Amino acid sequence: MTRNTRGMTVLRVFLAAVPCFMLSFAVALVNRDQPRIFGLPFIMAWIVLWVALTPIFLFAVERLRPKA
Amino acid sequence: MKPEFTALTIVAIVVFGTIAFAVTAVRRFRMDPHEYIVGSRSFGALLLWILLAGEIYTSFTFLGAAGWAYGKGAPSFYILAYGTIAYTIGYFYLPSIWRIGKERGLLTWPDLLIDRYGSRALGVAVAILQFLTTVPYVTLQLTGLQILLTIAGYGRYNATIAVSAAFILIALFVFTTGLRGAAWASVVKDSLVLLAVLFAGIYLPLHFFGSAGAMFARVTEHHPHWLSLAPATSNYGTVWYVSTVLLTSVGFFMGPANAQSIYSAKSEQTVRRNMMLMPLYQLIIIFILLAGFTALAVIPGLKGTQADQSFVLLLQRYFPSWLLGLVAGAGCLAALLPASVLLLGAASIFSKNVLTDWFGVATTDRSRLLWTRTLVLICAVLALVLWIFAKTSLVDLLLFYYNGITQLAPGILLALVWRRVSAWAVGSGLLAGELIAVYSLHRSVGPWGINPGFIALTVNLAVCVCVTLLFPRRELFIKTPVPEM
Repeated sequence: MTRNTRGMTVLRVFLAAVPCFMLSFAVALVNRDQPRIFGLPFIMAWIVLWVALTPIFLFAVERLRPKA
Repeated sequence: MKPEFTALTIVAIVVFGTIAFAVTAVRRFRMDPHEYIVGSRSFGALLLWILLAGEIYTSFTFLGAAGWAYGKGAPSFYILAYGTIAYTIGYFYLPSIWRIGKERGLLTWPDLLIDRYGSRALGVAVAILQFLTTVPYVTLQLTGLQILLTIAGYGRYNATIAVSAAFILIALFVFTTGLRGAAWASVVKDSLVLLAVLFAGIYLPLHFFGSAGAMFARVTEHHPHWLSLAPATSNYGTVWYVSTVLLTSVGFFMGPANAQSIYSAKSEQTVRRNMMLMPLYQLIIIFILLAGFTALAVIPGLKGTQADQSFVLLLQRYFPSWLLGLVAGAGCLAALLPASVLLLGAASIFSKNVLTDWFGVATTDRSRLLWTRTLVLICAVLALVLWIFAKTSLVDLLLFYYNGITQLAPGILLALVWRRVSAWAVGSGLLAGELIAVYSLHRSVGPWGINPGFIALTVNLAVCVCVTLLFPRRELFIKTPVPEM
């Protein structure tokens, strides 16, 4: 079975783009103090969450990398 | 025993101890430019991680991040985001950069530009630019040092003298041990900084308020809108946030020392592994922000550049001197080590790309080494002079540094994917970007709330693309094909 490497690249870039989007543009949309999450302002909790999730997305991107 | 004596003695023990440790650790390595500048390209994942982490966690992170939490509130959250994004995009382009560096024997960013675009003039211009933008960055670390030593001295000693002495010491340290020494010293530094930051972010809110939540509640009592960004195009609003995060994440690895650090890696995979894991280290910034917010709740009223002192001032007023000494010691390492690595970077670039490649001096390994070491001292002295004569805030200095170095990004990134880009395209883009960056030196917020460095970068890219489309490079200078992602 042949691998669609072009499609794979698109998928990997998309996966990597998700946390980037969440940490940049999306912040403008979740820009609020309330509700507090574990005492943290909502916007801060959001950013912290996505920083913590980034390695997981990158691991997925790495697993999907076509090994020549 | 007087508190300043305790605190400063502990600082001295921490700093000198670390230097001694690092010098001992590298004794068995022979110092040639390859070892000195890129550690002979042999750093495994762990040592590379330590070096990168060490470079990234500086005076700005230690003092400036808390200072922004204190002085600005929500805008300080950008500090959590931009590094993370930088690692994510770095995962894609840095391995290719490493591979070209290895194949073509490159040591610096100008090397890469000359290799890809075939223009020595461009390489020299960039080398000079990188050398110059290093100066305010080093001055930034110096200012951090000055703050720490003044507060650890409980205001009783002339900080100017102390800073000059400490600084000369670290210049000599780099002088003798090179990149590998800095990596080892970072081991000590990162451990201490980690402890200091965890203590600050976890214990301080608990100690004063019982919980982080209670601390934030107190902050919003006095500053109701502190913890969310101002709307859209206002000063430091959401537009500012997005543009700043994008700007600084793109420019993250464009500094003089970053090429060296990347090229010190053993393999492409080492680089990738680091990029995947570094975001976890970003989480530590949470704690320094918490410390800054706690300082705001406990000692409000510090104005302007004093905000940078907030976290250590809190320790000075409410905690024993030995604790202040330990934290200040960690902070000093956080200032001294990145300054050293950057000095090394700027000096190597100037020595190789300007002196050797252009003027034809410093051609033997031995003389190159000597010149690099001399330039470290020259740059160090320039930074010291800037510190003495121009007392600006940490933020102004950092912004100038970032706005300046990010302009390299189009040239470097396009080299990986587009063969038609010429040196003229990169050069014109770079010039346009730098002019705008210098013009907006004193404004941190541009029109429509956009970060001015971001505007400069956009113009830079636009000019570069336009020139390329109008005057594409007719023949490929380089025979090595552009690598895959």
